[in-house]
Amino acid sequence: MNNSEAKSAIFASIRQNLAASLPFDAAHHAHHAPKDSTFTTPVLPELSTENLIENFRKNLESVGGNFSIVYDESEAAEILLMMIGEKKARKIAVSDSPLVEKIVGFLKMDAEFIENASADRLFECDLGITGAQWAIAETGTLVLESESERHRLASLVPPVHVCILEAGQIRQTLGEILELVQQSLSRTITFITGASRTSDIELTLAIGVHGPGELIVILIDKTEEAEN
Amino acid sequence: MEHLTAETFDQNARAALADTQLRGALKNLAVTFGERRQAAIATVENWEDLRERARSIKDETLAHLDKYLTDFADNAEKAGAQIHWARDGREACAIVLELLKERDATKIVKSKSMATEEIHLNAALEKTGIDPVETDLGEWIIQLAGETPSHIVVPAIHKTKGQIADLFVEKVGIEKSDDVDVLTKTARRILRTRFAEAEVGISGVNFGVAETGTILILENEGNIRLTTSLPKTHIALMGIEKVVPRFTDLDVFLKLLPRSGTGQRLTTYQSLITGTKRNATDEGPAEVHIILMDNGRSRMLAHPTTRQSLACIRCGACLNACPVYQQIGGHAYGSVYPGPIGAVITPQLVGIGKTKQLPFASSLCGACREVCPVKIDIPELLLHLRAEIAEGVTETSTHKFSEKLAFGFYSFAWSRPEFYKLGTKISRLLQKFVAKDGKIGKTSGFLAKLAPPLGAWTAWRDAPTVAPKSFREIWKSDLENK
Repeated sequence: MNNSEAKSAIFASIRQNLAASLPFDAAHHAHHAPKDSTFTTPVLPELSTENLIENFRKNLESVGGNFSIVYDESEAAEILLMMIGEKKARKIAVSDSPLVEKIVGFLKMDAEFIENASADRLFECDLGITGAQWAIAETGTLVLESESERHRLASLVPPVHVCILEAGQIRQTLGEILELVQQSLSRTITFITGASRTSDIELTLAIGVHGPGELIVILIDKTEEAEN
Repeated sequence: MEHLTAETFDQNARAALADTQLRGALKNLAVTFGERRQAAIATVENWEDLRERARSIKDETLAHLDKYLTDFADNAEKAGAQIHWARDGREACAIVLELLKERDATKIVKSKSMATEEIHLNAALEKTGIDPVETDLGEWIIQLAGETPSHIVVPAIHKTKGQIADLFVEKVGIEKSDDVDVLTKTARRILRTRFAEAEVGISGVNFGVAETGTILILENEGNIRLTTSLPKTHIALMGIEKVVPRFTDLDVFLKLLPRSGTGQRLTTYQSLITGTKRNATDEGPAEVHIILMDNGRSRMLAHPTTRQSLACIRCGACLNACPVYQQIGGHAYGSVYPGPIGAVITPQLVGIGKTKQLPFASSLCGACREVCPVKIDIPELLLHLRAEIAEGVTETSTHKFSEKLAFGFYSFAWSRPEFYKLGTKISRLLQKFVAKDGKIGKTSGFLAKLAPPLGAWTAWRDAPTVAPKSFREIWKSDLENK
């Protein structure tokens, strides 16, 4: 396969065709020019952490996500223990986030916690626990950066995904998040909004087709604790 | 199953209209997707501004496509991806085959990609004994059925759940159930074993960012995340028009695409992939190959009207809004790209010779233009292609002569008030013999049996009668009565 030959041919064709278009462009532009100057990103009022959390919760729940708020890691562990019991999870895939490790450290139970699971073992897991690097309030989205945590598969393969989030990680808009993650671009960035879904059969919604059928977010908000 | 071709569009469309199963399957499409889209676009304040912005980003990119493609390829390579160039579908298939052969890979999982459908990659792989497994639920269904997608976003929309239930009984041996959850769980169970053993994952690309070399892929099911993270090798096929200049441009497109396509604020998953993993022990494939494919796209740059076709982000909104698509579905178009956007890009991709009927598969109502998130003027494109076809017409000279004569007469009479008035008077007299309840057509039974050209119109639809009094006459008599 002579790839450089194909490359030069494609570029020659692009340049030749763009040049052929020049005589028509001015006339067309006069009629169809996009009104670019009208575009402004709406300026949103700066939201308090409380409002951000409320927005995030509302939008997460609107896509079927489950939300709980706790004061600290040990309370997060209590909720987690309850959930694991409820789901009767025996094998649990965990990411390598220090926060997740700390919380899992609180758990006294005989379920098996598997970090860095191979593909085969992952498919046996009943639950996955990860953190997230950011969250988007306006869409209820979790943002995972691969350079911060190994959480791509633990968040995807088991039927239940539990994500532990801290209040300070929430931002209001997608635009803010894109600017933040671009500063030190991870190899893979994953946005997660709700549980895996499909409408491929008669446009009927079905949950949990290839990814988890259940998404649970546990938010740690320590400012709440200070106020109480 | 025999695949339809665009050459016989008229016949295909008539057969589709008579297919009651198909009409039933399509019944909810327009309303469901239409309502979901309306609700989703109401959640952004500046929808019209976003459309303008998206279009101007696309216009800017296409006007300097050589520069942005170079940037994209350079930056993706810097991040560790390997770039391949394909002039056409044949070359793209050959590159994929070569990559598989070098790796001795036969277990392939695929996620939904219109570009791979466009070049019939599966057929090319199957010829060499490799059976790639489609993992998107809709794509898997049509792969099991041996069919082609009939919609850009929901490929199996032409099938009822009853038909899918029968298919699963036959092909995967489950007990018959038309419970959508049961069918979906069956797909999950079976495809998991395929994911676990896959050596290579093949995907498409929604956007490629020139500034960073990042590819972005959107989905709802999670199969794209599995396809791009479990196998050792990831191959992504990307049309050269998919590039956008800046990383933050994605903001605009991520607001437009899910809302237009499925009526969601965001699809469940977005994967933003930049090059390969940085440490051998990290998650994800060891190798990433991006194939940049032309396949007729650069030709569309040659005129501002045709160039718009390359702004398409494949959301499918124009299909859902189109009164023609709503009735006949996607297969009648005989192309992987159906509906209004298909009627304009198929002739440009494969040549106008075999697709002459497609630009006429429209009533030019403009619904497609109204919903298009990147403001492609599809009716303008249809007319542009029709003009191209008309210029090349080599029909019999008598046909041309009679058509010329008729339109010459029409133009003469209708540009002179006295002839126009006379014309309406004569019509009012004549229609008395053929009209019924203010309509001329099948119901009146008479004119329909007339020889062409008038019968051609009334054989399929009613023509309204000329009003008993013209506007001018009413205006005049009202003035006199005052």
